[in-house]
Amino acid sequence: MRLECHNLNFTYPGNTTAVINNLSFSMKNPGFKALFGPSGVGKTSLAKMIASSKFRGSKDIAIENMDTILYSYNLERLPGWSSTGNHLNKVTSSEKQSVKEQLIEIFELKDVLGSRFSQLSMGQQNRINLIRYLLQDFDLLIMDESLANVDEKLRETIILAIKELFSDKMFLYISHNLMEVSKFCSQILVFRKSLENKNSFVIKGQDCKKGYLLDKKQLDITMLEIMNAF
Amino acid sequence: MLFRRIYQFLIVYMVAIAFLWMIKMGLSLSDYVIPGIFLVAETAGQVAEEYVFDVINTLSIAVLGQALSIVLAFTVGISGRKSSWIGSFIKVTAYNIQAYPIVALAPIIFILLGDGFIPRLLIASMICYFPLLLSILGIMATPVEDIEHFYIVTGRMRWQLEVKIRAFENLSKLTTVISGSATLAMAGTIVGEFIAANAGIGYSIRIALYQSDIAKILVALFMIGIIISIYQGILETMGEQIKNKWSISKEGVVL
Repeated sequence: MRLECHNLNFTYPGNTTAVINNLSFSMKNPGFKALFGPSGVGKTSLAKMIASSKFRGSKDIAIENMDTILYSYNLERLPGWSSTGNHLNKVTSSEKQSVKEQLIEIFELKDVLGSRFSQLSMGQQNRINLIRYLLQDFDLLIMDESLANVDEKLRETIILAIKELFSDKMFLYISHNLMEVSKFCSQILVFRKSLENKNSFVIKGQDCKKGYLLDKKQLDITMLEIMNAF
Repeated sequence: MLFRRIYQFLIVYMVAIAFLWMIKMGLSLSDYVIPGIFLVAETAGQVAEEYVFDVINTLSIAVLGQALSIVLAFTVGISGRKSSWIGSFIKVTAYNIQAYPIVALAPIIFILLGDGFIPRLLIASMICYFPLLLSILGIMATPVEDIEHFYIVTGRMRWQLEVKIRAFENLSKLTTVISGSATLAMAGTIVGEFIAANAGIGYSIRIALYQSDIAKILVALFMIGIIISIYQGILETMGEQIKNKWSISKEGVVL
């Protein structure tokens, strides 16, 4: 699995300033990778370009061994005419039923499956939305703030469970939580607001897995590296 | 909702009648120009029953015409929702035809088809069809990205699901448009009857007009207002019930 960009540029139609300016990076192998940086630097734009079939075949974006790329974001909604449990059942194939049950347990959503989407809290809405993506066939799942509004402890449990259950998949995690991306991601692409040529860096993260022992010194170094690149 | 509609109409009707009578008193006009309260009451006693049946006759044509135009507007709106050439063609055609006063075509319809049921139905449905079509086209052509994204990227999107999502998300708008189009259908039928039909309240108003009998016209307007208020109230209540049934679960209420 490989995701690479070579001197990628992107400007929205009608704008004069480029959102993505001369971006180059390489990410390899399955696991959690992160896009990190302040708002408006082009993280979501890059994610949408990677997921879009229009850009996938271009010379600027190279993708190897990843046929299905899904992009999920935190403002998505489920239709309101039926309960969330019914919606989940409808989008889950029979061979993924056991994974579904497992995920519902881990994501702590068992009690809300009978409720409509609009009756859930924002954190519950984001979790139910993420589950339905995890139950699809994919090679790369882009999670654009998909765990926003979820408490820190549960977020950690969810990330560790996803890493364990989907160890052969690649995840591109967009988050504004420095500690989280440093701890759980293997590679962190840090965007900075700059007009210089070099406006991004890839930093190695701690890539903690279930039952991890945290090396606080190494984590501090990673966080400092990210902050310096910021 | 039903009673609110009736109260609203009664208030508007009373204000309008009071205004007429103020003019009558202010300018010392005779009962021939503006009938007094007793003359209107006497006329009501004479024609009320007949007018109730006339209004029901008109309403039945309006309801049929409205149902026809709803079915047609949904069919065309759903087919024209895509940004393909056929979709653009339907949208442009609908916008252009909407700009033309359809009621002006009524004489042609009566000349070609004569008096009777079909021309009245045709005029009623034509008058409420285009405003309905534009609203339905607008709703059906606007994606609900936050919901549709998942189904598109996972290849699960079908046209039926797309229509269901857009209709559900715009249920209030659709209910308002449909109940609003009831007035248009009624207006269309009355105008059709007024021009050349041989039945309905529009036909009775035409006779009253030839007799210069404002009292009859005031009674007819009262009957039309009450019955259309009841019909619109029923439509709104139905819309509200569908919305509640569709969107609120048994476990709790939507906040």
